[in-house]
Amino acid sequence: MEDDLISKKELLDETGISYGQLYRWKRKQLIPEEWFIRKSTFTGQETFFPRARILGRVQHILQKKDDLSLDELAGKLSEPASLYRVGLTLSQLRERNIVSSISLERFGRPEIAEIQLTFEQILNLFAADWLLSKGELNWEEADRLYQTLEAHAPGYGEKGWELFFVRKMGVSFFMMALPGAGLAFDEGVRLVSRLSSADLAEQLKGRLS
Amino acid sequence: MEKHKLPDLLMDGVNTAAGGRYNQVNINGVSRINGALSAHTCKCDGVMKLNGDLAAEEIEMNGNLNLKGNLKVGVMKLNGVLSGEGGLRGERCEMDGMLKLKGNCEVEELIGEGVFHVGGLLSAGVIEFGLHGLSEAGEIGVESLVIRKKGNAAWGRLLGGMVPKFKIGLQAKVIEGDTLDLEYTNAEVVRGGTVIIGEGCTIGRVEYTGELTVHPGAHVGKEEKR
Repeated sequence: MEDDLISKKELLDETGISYGQLYRWKRKQLIPEEWFIRKSTFTGQETFFPRARILGRVQHILQKKDDLSLDELAGKLSEPASLYRVGLTLSQLRERNIVSSISLERFGRPEIAEIQLTFEQILNLFAADWLLSKGELNWEEADRLYQTLEAHAPGYGEKGWELFFVRKMGVSFFMMALPGAGLAFDEGVRLVSRLSSADLAEQLKGRLS
Repeated sequence: MEKHKLPDLLMDGVNTAAGGRYNQVNINGVSRINGALSAHTCKCDGVMKLNGDLAAEEIEMNGNLNLKGNLKVGVMKLNGVLSGEGGLRGERCEMDGMLKLKGNCEVEELIGEGVFHVGGLLSAGVIEFGLHGLSEAGEIGVESLVIRKKGNAAWGRLLGGMVPKFKIGLQAKVIEGDTLDLEYTNAEVVRGGTVIIGEGCTIGRVEYTGELTVHPGAHVGKEEKR
């Protein structure tokens, strides 16, 4: 996660925002200070951001800034993810294309199609769907991922989690850890994917609202 | 509603007080306050030393304010010297004098003349500043920035002891903003939309997206249009 950074210049190019806007949002505490990672490069000092998180956040702000004042938005964003009160039903998720309908059919039990899901439940679906769409999992693995998340994610509570998906000699397995954990593996292990709940929540928040 | 219940802190002469929450703080003379202070309005003529944070909706300061903590303010009028160990966060800051901060300075508007020393990031919506001495900031990020050289002899006499007798100018590592209009500025990198590099500037590298104007009396190492 930490190695997937985006430089400020790339961020501005990709999202079309200006320096002024970025600094204004920072002043309004729409973008947390910790996301500004300073590094020296050959062109002088540059600022980097965690890619997935900042892109999600900027998209979110751009969508909402016409309806809400920046201060209202700051209040909303500072709420922890678990307090983020959204209840969407499976059918709404499908309509709004947050989770692909194939994944919904696989994981969502049809009899609860009209029951409101919590943010955490949506997050689990979203995680499985996301990895599937990137082509990093097969269906069987996605099933296991979903079960792992359902069973263990609540135990991490507020702190969130990071999920490691690794393969060795054709055998794949998942590991969950607290965010920022530096796990080391032996040489034969290939780390296929690393997901953090904070990154996912950020992207999901943007799509839900 | 709560504001009416809060007491006032009025002090004249040489005084020491504990911090606390007040409606109005009015201090004349020399005072030391041990602890965080929050107030609706804070007016201070003279010297004030504060061992903690200061938060107020309005601050009017004539003289010298020495701050151990952070400063949070709505509107601040500063005539004199403010030195803080922490940072400043506020809406509007009008100043004539000197602003020294170890932390970051984040305001919507910074307008005035004098000198500033910001250890960290100086971030603002609008900065219009007339320089009277050597100002420094680690990094500047703004929407619009106008820097002018304003120094004259009268100011030099007034703040002579406090302002280092360096040449007048602004020194920063990185300056980024939408519209930048600089004079007598020394920076490693300047990145912006519309950039005007005025007289007396020495800039290592300029990156711009809109227009760039360089005064003949300025040195720019490398120009790059993106």
